[in-house]
Amino acid sequence: MYVSKTGLAVIAAAYIAVPLVLGSNNYVMSLIVASMIIGGIALAWALLGNLGGMVSFGHSAFFGVGAYVSALLTMKTGMPVFAAMLLGGVGAVVASLVMLPVLRLKGPYFALAILAYAHIFKIIATEWSSVTGGSAGLASVPRFPELMGFDLSGKIGSYLIILTVLLAFVAAYRAIRASHYGIALRAMHDSEDATRVVGVNSTLLKALMLFVSAFMTGVVGAFNVHYINFLEPDYAFSGLWVTLPIVAAIFGGYRTILGPLVGAVTVYLVDQLIFKSLIPSGHQLVLGALLVAMIIFSPGGLMPLLRKDSRRKHAAA
Amino acid sequence: MDWNCIIRSKLGLAALALSLTAGVASAEELLVGAEIPLTGSLARVGSGMNEGISVAVEVFNKTNGKHTIKVITADDESAPAKAIAAVEKLAGQGVVAITGGYGSNNIGPASDAANKLGLPYITSGGVDDSLTERGIKTFFRINNTAGYRKAMVGLLADMKVKSASVIYSTKEATADLAKDVQKELTAQGMTVGMHAFDPAITDFKPIINKIRLQDKSEVILMAGYENDYVGILRAAKVLKPDVKAMIGVWSLATPKMVADFPDLMPSVYGTALLPFPAEFKSADGKLFADAYKKLYNKEPDYLGQFGYVQSMILFEAIARAADKGTLKKGGVVEELAKTDRETLIGRVRFNDKGDNINFVHRMGQHQNGKIAIVWPSDAATGKMNFPGVPW
Repeated sequence: MYVSKTGLAVIAAAYIAVPLVLGSNNYVMSLIVASMIIGGIALAWALLGNLGGMVSFGHSAFFGVGAYVSALLTMKTGMPVFAAMLLGGVGAVVASLVMLPVLRLKGPYFALAILAYAHIFKIIATEWSSVTGGSAGLASVPRFPELMGFDLSGKIGSYLIILTVLLAFVAAYRAIRASHYGIALRAMHDSEDATRVVGVNSTLLKALMLFVSAFMTGVVGAFNVHYINFLEPDYAFSGLWVTLPIVAAIFGGYRTILGPLVGAVTVYLVDQLIFKSLIPSGHQLVLGALLVAMIIFSPGGLMPLLRKDSRRKHAAA
Repeated sequence: MDWNCIIRSKLGLAALALSLTAGVASAEELLVGAEIPLTGSLARVGSGMNEGISVAVEVFNKTNGKHTIKVITADDESAPAKAIAAVEKLAGQGVVAITGGYGSNNIGPASDAANKLGLPYITSGGVDDSLTERGIKTFFRINNTAGYRKAMVGLLADMKVKSASVIYSTKEATADLAKDVQKELTAQGMTVGMHAFDPAITDFKPIINKIRLQDKSEVILMAGYENDYVGILRAAKVLKPDVKAMIGVWSLATPKMVADFPDLMPSVYGTALLPFPAEFKSADGKLFADAYKKLYNKEPDYLGQFGYVQSMILFEAIARAADKGTLKKGGVVEELAKTDRETLIGRVRFNDKGDNINFVHRMGQHQNGKIAIVWPSDAATGKMNFPGVPW
């Protein structure tokens, strides 16, 4: 897979410079990790929209299921955290199987149906108290382990884990988009009927994209539960796991692969580090205004805006 | 200028410098962090607790005479990840301990982060039992589900009723309390009907109807929040079940409910630390009330009282640790663990898990636009109006 020099430099900076420069500042590292969690969901959400052509309001279902599966596996069976995280993703895929009937719905009908599923999973987590701990939730969820004397549950360790997870997701997203499936999926955007005529099984492809998106969100949910060490239904299936990633993806540019990640990190850090220090209660107002301005002046989001700016500079040079 | 003169002037300068340094040291403020939800879904309760914390700062700084406390507040926006970030931000600003926290899902991760940083964390905002079962030695809590359960069960014992129906929200704190109450009442031989409801519902008529026609209980117990109580009481007022009392817990016997829902509240019971209008008999209570009225120009509520008590206990522990020179050697945790004193919420003493073993709430009853404390008898300010319902 081709990675540009700039891309390699950014990856190297993310792995080396960020821990070296900011690693001692727990507060900033905490914000960065939280923003990357939002970024992971935003990426998965944008993948479903871009490649599957579906707008989801129910990604909190995958996030919550992934978190619960991973937490329960580590707590009840003693499974290692990383294996449980992967199975958290698988759990989210299994949860998405029950959503298959709504794949035939389009637009707002699909979005609302998947939102209803999220609510159903929340009720299951609340009522199935013998397994999930009910509304009281699960406390003392196992943390990330030590690896060769390095504590992965610390801020730097957690950051490196989520960074690796997100890079793997980006690579998977790129590979899918560049594959034959990706071409078929993009063709479906223009005309689903036309692609069906040439023999593309659009429902199957959409289902596959739903599985991939669910898996990614489930793994991020699983990461979050081992990072926070606490879980309860209201938190696991909170609407915030849908709204914030959508805002981040739109802000960054949901049509691009990196847009949702860049959007999440930018929106979260600017809001928490700048706006919040200026307006402690009510800083979200500024963020809202900024989002509106972004949609008006650059409907494609931040990434296309940055690219346009960079092209203009190259042309001027 | 001779040598004597030079030495005298140098000594004079040194003495002046020393006295100035000493002055700075004695006037040094001890920094305490308040991690609290001031925005988001818990903003109202967080703001109430924050008022109590501010009053505690005012009273402590006025009465201690030796140390002064400065509180730095960080809004956790009612979100666990931001609660962790808030604690870490406060730690970076040099606080010696954290007061605040609301909602067990925020308190859990935030107190965990504080523990990792070696900071004591005291709260009254989360009653989930798992918080004190984590083996964290830096965590302290002044209230718990057991205190609310004891108050409800104690009131029912005074009423001498034999059956009860419990309507409870499936949220963590309310569900825990409802199940604890059920267990204890069943053990006492009472008949208990359980009726869970999703926090999103607003129409309680089906549940009330079920209680009226099927349970036929003597009293209805409600474990919910303000909107839930209003919905339940409205439904009960329409269907008029044949019960002798409507009993709730937190957020019900409050001045706000007296003012906002005068038609729904008569004879309704809820947990209350103080009657309304508030009567403070102790010196500490009077100090609190005066400072609260000065700062906020209103009657203090239970959130303010809890915030005040947890913060005063913490500030006193910090002062004792500072006196012993153990402030940065785990002294605050040691001093908090030794706490044993009368407060506005009764005597506070922590067990080895950091839970207040003496916490027992009081029960108040809405009577003629006021709130009278009716249980326990030694704290009562009025006679229980029983049987009595709002319809």
